Amino acid sequence: MRWRGGAGWALALLPLAFLALAFFWPLADVLRLGLQVDGRWTGDRLSALLADPYVRRLLLFTLDQALLSAAVSLGLGFPLGWLLTRYRFPGKGLVRAFTLVPFVLPSITVALGFILFFGRAGYLNRFLMGAFGLGEPPIRVLYTLWGIVLAHAFYNAPVVARFVNVAWERLDPTLVEAARVLGTGPVRAFLTVTVPLLLPAVLSALALVFVLCFLSFTIPLALGGARYATAEVGVYLFARVYVDFPRAAALATLMLGISLALTYLYLRGEGLFQARAGGVRGQPTVPLLSCNRPIRSLWIGYLFLAALVFVGPIAAVVADSFLRAAPGAGSPTLYWYRLIFSPAWNPFLESSPAGSVGTSLVVAAGATALALALGVAVSWTLHRVRSRALEALLMAPLAVSSVVLGLALLFAFRRPPLAAFGRGPWAIVLAHALIVYPFVVRVIRPLWEGLDPNLVEAARTLGARRLAAFLTVELPLLRGGVLAAGAFAFALSLGEMTAVAMLAGAGVTTMPLAIYHFLSAREFGAASAMATVLIAVTAAAAWAWDRAGARWLGRDHGGR
Amino acid sequence: MIRPPVGPKEGIVRRIVLSLLVLGALGAAANAEQLVVYTYRSFVNWGPAAAIEEAFEAAHPGVDLVWVAPAGGPEMLSRLIAELASGGTAADVFLGISAMDLPRALAHAVFRPYDPALIPNLAQVPEDLLFDRTGHVVPFDHGYVTFVASAALREDLVPRTFSDLLRPELKGKIILQDPRTSTTGLAFLLWTVARFGEDWTEFWRAFLPNTLTITKGWSEAFAMFEAGEAPIVLSYSTDAAYAYITAGSLRYRILTPDGEAARLVEGMGIVRTSEKAELAHAFLDLVLSPKVQELIPTSQWMFPVNAAATLPPDFARYAVLPEVPVFLDPAYAAEHLEAWLDQWQQVLGTP
Repeated sequence: MRWRGGAGWALALLPLAFLALAFFWPLADVLRLGLQVDGRWTGDRLSALLADPYVRRLLLFTLDQALLSAAVSLGLGFPLGWLLTRYRFPGKGLVRAFTLVPFVLPSITVALGFILFFGRAGYLNRFLMGAFGLGEPPIRVLYTLWGIVLAHAFYNAPVVARFVNVAWERLDPTLVEAARVLGTGPVRAFLTVTVPLLLPAVLSALALVFVLCFLSFTIPLALGGARYATAEVGVYLFARVYVDFPRAAALATLMLGISLALTYLYLRGEGLFQARAGGVRGQPTVPLLSCNRPIRSLWIGYLFLAALVFVGPIAAVVADSFLRAAPGAGSPTLYWYRLIFSPAWNPFLESSPAGSVGTSLVVAAGATALALALGVAVSWTLHRVRSRALEALLMAPLAVSSVVLGLALLFAFRRPPLAAFGRGPWAIVLAHALIVYPFVVRVIRPLWEGLDPNLVEAARTLGARRLAAFLTVELPLLRGGVLAAGAFAFALSLGEMTAVAMLAGAGVTTMPLAIYHFLSAREFGAASAMATVLIAVTAAAAWAWDRAGARWLGRDHGGR
Repeated sequence: MIRPPVGPKEGIVRRIVLSLLVLGALGAAANAEQLVVYTYRSFVNWGPAAAIEEAFEAAHPGVDLVWVAPAGGPEMLSRLIAELASGGTAADVFLGISAMDLPRALAHAVFRPYDPALIPNLAQVPEDLLFDRTGHVVPFDHGYVTFVASAALREDLVPRTFSDLLRPELKGKIILQDPRTSTTGLAFLLWTVARFGEDWTEFWRAFLPNTLTITKGWSEAFAMFEAGEAPIVLSYSTDAAYAYITAGSLRYRILTPDGEAARLVEGMGIVRTSEKAELAHAFLDLVLSPKVQELIPTSQWMFPVNAAATLPPDFARYAVLPEVPVFLDPAYAAEHLEAWLDQWQQVLGTP
């Protein structure tokens, strides 16, 4: 029972009207400010922007670091994908689970971890200087371009690893075996058979990583200083720090164009890069510990390096939250945990630390509820009405970066009708809902397709109204998907800092922003304690998402 | 009819959300009368903010003095200007505006004129420190911005001149602050303009490779310096006194390249829209009182402006007064500041 024509479009109106008010109209404000001078449409602001060497440098640096980040992510992630596909070893399930962690780890906690671990006075350098009696810190990666690239690789190498792993698992092992039978050496077989077959997945992963790093905000903001700012950081600086709205809007307009183009190219490319259908049996795996010595030590060396990059920063955050000496309390201490749950006003946060925890939970709960409602409505509409144009409209927020979205809502909440909501956390709730709901749609949409329409028919035949049938038949059947998507939305909202940085104001601070402020005031103990709590809560939400997914959606993240 | 089962868990979630909302409402309801003071971060985590708050609240029972300090001075001023332009600010007083930023504040009519009769302690402030002749901003401290080296810097690398600062051996060893967001950063930018004239961008181009990073505010820069991230930082000429008085250590050396350091005078004023003029004047007077002014040297690590305030002997001994204090004419600086900041960004943009 597909609805066509007028009725179907009428259904689409509800989410469309909401998006028009809360998304398209605010975005139009940004474009207007970016492309209009005295009410006249013109490219003057854009050309002035592009003529500015500082902005050109921002864009060039953004491009540079995104390319390098993609390359380093590949270098670090490909072996991990390889290892997970071809080897058996104790702790493999743990390593596989760990590749999921960066997806939900709030980026500000990663930045903090990098400063604590890789800083010149950080754990790693202190250890190395002590162990080898060095007078100068040997690792000098932080505050350079490479610090940002490495932090991006931390995030994105697991993305590459997963792409490679999935593609490799699907590869037909008989192809390599055939090559070997025909007398090809193992290296040659790898280079001429395996690599070309994995290429689509690798390219696809690289493209995704490139886009993510191109639009990166929190990592360069926290690690880059004034010299290494990306274009997204530029929009934030123009809008929130130097308060130059026309310039911010012009740069945001430019970034909007770029991110739309990148999204379009990525979606076009995704089809081309689609991994080929695999063989019937899985990849043969080798026990790592029974490999010959050089290969074994090569892999152990790699795992050691990976552990240093992936575990080091997070361990540093957790350790620091207990070990950082507290005023009058020594070390180890729980002082920092008492401090972050204190209800006393903190001038750096413009809120109490406990207040920021409360705001985070309220925002995440509100954003989750709104994203679920919007996600269910949109997925329902897209299920009923087949239209590519409608899909593009309803999923459009996916192609807009959080900084640009934040700027749009910053403008929107300054004038009616949204100004009626005041300066509370509502703008952040809305921003997070808009960022998250496309993911909700992706989880729930396939469930609609799998739903048996006869059930609804039966309920209607028994006299249930359309809405009652929806609430009592369809929604309960979607429950698993809704729970999984809800947990994911909650985790994402808790950790999101970009839109928050654009929209925060007096009395409205969330945990990630509080961590950033503590970090900026160099109150590392408080920053670490709050980051540890944030990591624990998002990890719990992610775990719930994973469990709900495994239970109801037939997804399986478990080790083989 | 088929109904979804309502589990006990949903009840719990609802209760938690509700109690959070109630807690939030309670917090908002418990508002006493407030005096909101915007300042920069280091005035709170270094300066006498806590002592001022205590003294002020003791003298004005029922009034809550609220500090707001999430950023550096110029960034806070930009924010205040933006708030005033878009429907109002919570701020009653802005503390921490440097003489360099004064023209910008006056151009945006940030402050209301103060009434000297309501600030009796102002009479003790020497004439030459009253940097705002328009009667909006009163000074509260002064000092010198310059480079400070830690003991980790090799003796033969300690820079004594501006050309020493460019030595390739200092690559990545100096922490600066952003002139767009930090008072010390702005002071250094104007210092280089005063010293090199038209050629100041040349100096910056050569100097940038020697910087480790350019932070948004002084607090993070100095904390990085103290943690050993770099052996040289742009900071204050009083840092040696700070190290000696707090730790009995002579680990910091004040560098005055070619005998110079940038002169810095900082002031405070009452925000134009404040409806608490009386309390605000009382606040200004309290900050200028000898009691608070005597806290300035050993908390804020600056010189007090009240002539009646006595300096601790060790402070007087180790705080360095440069041979050549550099101070650009504020009217001239105001006229060109925007262009200089643009040029600075461009220098930053050339790799």
